[in-house]
Amino acid sequence: MIRVLAALAVGAVLAVGASAAVMNVAAPTPEPPNRPLYNYGDK
Amino acid sequence: MRTEWGEAARRFAPALLGLLLGVLALWPALGPGFVLRYDMVFVPDPPLVPPGQGFPRAVPSDLVVALLSRVVPAEAVQKAVLLGIFVLAASGAAALVPSRRLGPRLVAAAFYAWNAYLAQRLLLGQWALLLGVAGLPWAVRAAALGGRLRLAAALIPAAVGGFQAMLVSAVAVLATAATAPAPAPAPGLGARVRRTGEAALIMGGLSLPWLVPALLSGATTDPAGVDAFAARADGPFGVAGSLLGLGGVWNAHATVPGQGSWWSAGVRLALAAVAIWGFVRLRGTRDGSRAGGVPYWTGLAVAAGAGLGVACLGAFAPGLLKALVGWWPGFGTIRDGQLHLAPFALLQAVGLASAADRWASRPAAAPRAVVAVTVAVAVAVPVLVLPTFALGAFGRLTAVPYPQEWRRVQEIVNGDPAPGALLSLPWGAHRAFRWNGGRVVLDPATKLFGRRVIWNDELLVGLPDGGRIRVAAEDPLAAKVGAVLRPGAPEPGPAGAGDRAGALLRLGVRYVLTRPGDNTFQDALTVFEGSELRLVRLSNPD
Repeated sequence: MIRVLAALAVGAVLAVGASAAVMNVAAPTPEPPNRPLYNYGDK
Repeated sequence: MRTEWGEAARRFAPALLGLLLGVLALWPALGPGFVLRYDMVFVPDPPLVPPGQGFPRAVPSDLVVALLSRVVPAEAVQKAVLLGIFVLAASGAAALVPSRRLGPRLVAAAFYAWNAYLAQRLLLGQWALLLGVAGLPWAVRAAALGGRLRLAAALIPAAVGGFQAMLVSAVAVLATAATAPAPAPAPGLGARVRRTGEAALIMGGLSLPWLVPALLSGATTDPAGVDAFAARADGPFGVAGSLLGLGGVWNAHATVPGQGSWWSAGVRLALAAVAIWGFVRLRGTRDGSRAGGVPYWTGLAVAAGAGLGVACLGAFAPGLLKALVGWWPGFGTIRDGQLHLAPFALLQAVGLASAADRWASRPAAAPRAVVAVTVAVAVAVPVLVLPTFALGAFGRLTAVPYPQEWRRVQEIVNGDPAPGALLSLPWGAHRAFRWNGGRVVLDPATKLFGRRVIWNDELLVGLPDGGRIRVAAEDPLAAKVGAVLRPGAPEPGPAGAGDRAGALLRLGVRYVLTRPGDNTFQDALTVFEGSELRLVRLSNPD
């Protein structure tokens, strides 16, 4: 039973963290700058 | 009958889990159209063309896609490949777990198909590399079990993926072949040496499609790429912490949203610690005979350690790596060090399964509910740790249709039997189209046409201070064309653009694909002009 409770607790903590992470990134991303050429990426 | 069904369900459950995770991760990418992001460029009706003169990065992957697209639409091929990566990765990781319990196998499947490494490489569009990553567990398994045909079959995904896919497989396969216990009829050092040699030959043979063009290409490697592609910190625990959590990709735009938070990075680090502990407890005796020991243990540990070392090299000893690249351009293959973390990801997947197995199996007579809850949580952990990988990393992987004018230009150029290259302008490798949601992608013109396409393969990588690293072009012809196009280049004389067109004609250029507002070649014949593209044909003044 302790193991079940521990697993559920871990799952609950992770689920709360996951929910917060999703809420944080659900906002629309800003439009990219309107340039004809782009970097391969940024460091 | 019921037992047979149950056995079949157990056998295919990891693959099914991989499919479910793939659908969850790729949901917006599974609609009509193509997913276009960084290196991931699929085009409708891709032509069958030999590799260009630069380093053959998309060989033979593009050729295989072109062949498959003769049978089914290219967009279906892309979706099948992307989903196949998840299925192959999940089922392969599960196959490496020594436990017969389904739960731990599902844990390994979930982790290997849903981790920061796979997500970041997918967001960088490196589907061909991921073919090798997905096939890695199968290749390791084949190397441990022995058998030439089995190994060759397991390496097919890596062979299709090309040089990066084969590179991430090579160390793990060779190390496993060299260290796994030899089969009973011929145990000993000799059998291991022979098996390692055979593995090297098989990988060498499967690498020929890209190895030969690479050796003939004359491509060079700019040491500046070491700084550009070195692993970076994408969380609060620095470069080393990022790499241990399977992150650390060089490109800040290839990170999963929110992965840099304390919460995500911290949990991934904790998970890595648990996974490494779980893997260590799998260690058997040298001959693999001890219960719980796995024959691939040493090989995978060596490959994971080597991958982690290579990933650290660019970040902590860039001078050494630059010297190596300067000495032999082939060392350029390790400039993007984080790429080599794939065996470490596999090690963590197997280790996590081992830890879950231990957790769920004590006490021995644990009620089924205990096991079920524990396993369900363990399977969900990878998704909960990186939830924003779902839904195409929240829109970062989305399918879009090509505008009709791209198809029209493709028809015109591919319908012209006259030889001559196509030059793609503006003179830069990457684009961000409004119709693609502003997502940065390699110029699709590089894949659309059944003739040589000249494009600027110089890579620009932005720095936090606003500066940019320029990684020099590898294609010799691109360098020549770049010299002609450069403002103030000596080639254009009094006639200006006319001389530039002449210089391009002498370099074998027949078409120029550019923007409608570009009047550089105003004297040339405009074959097509749309809202986004202008196609001009150069011709000799008679």
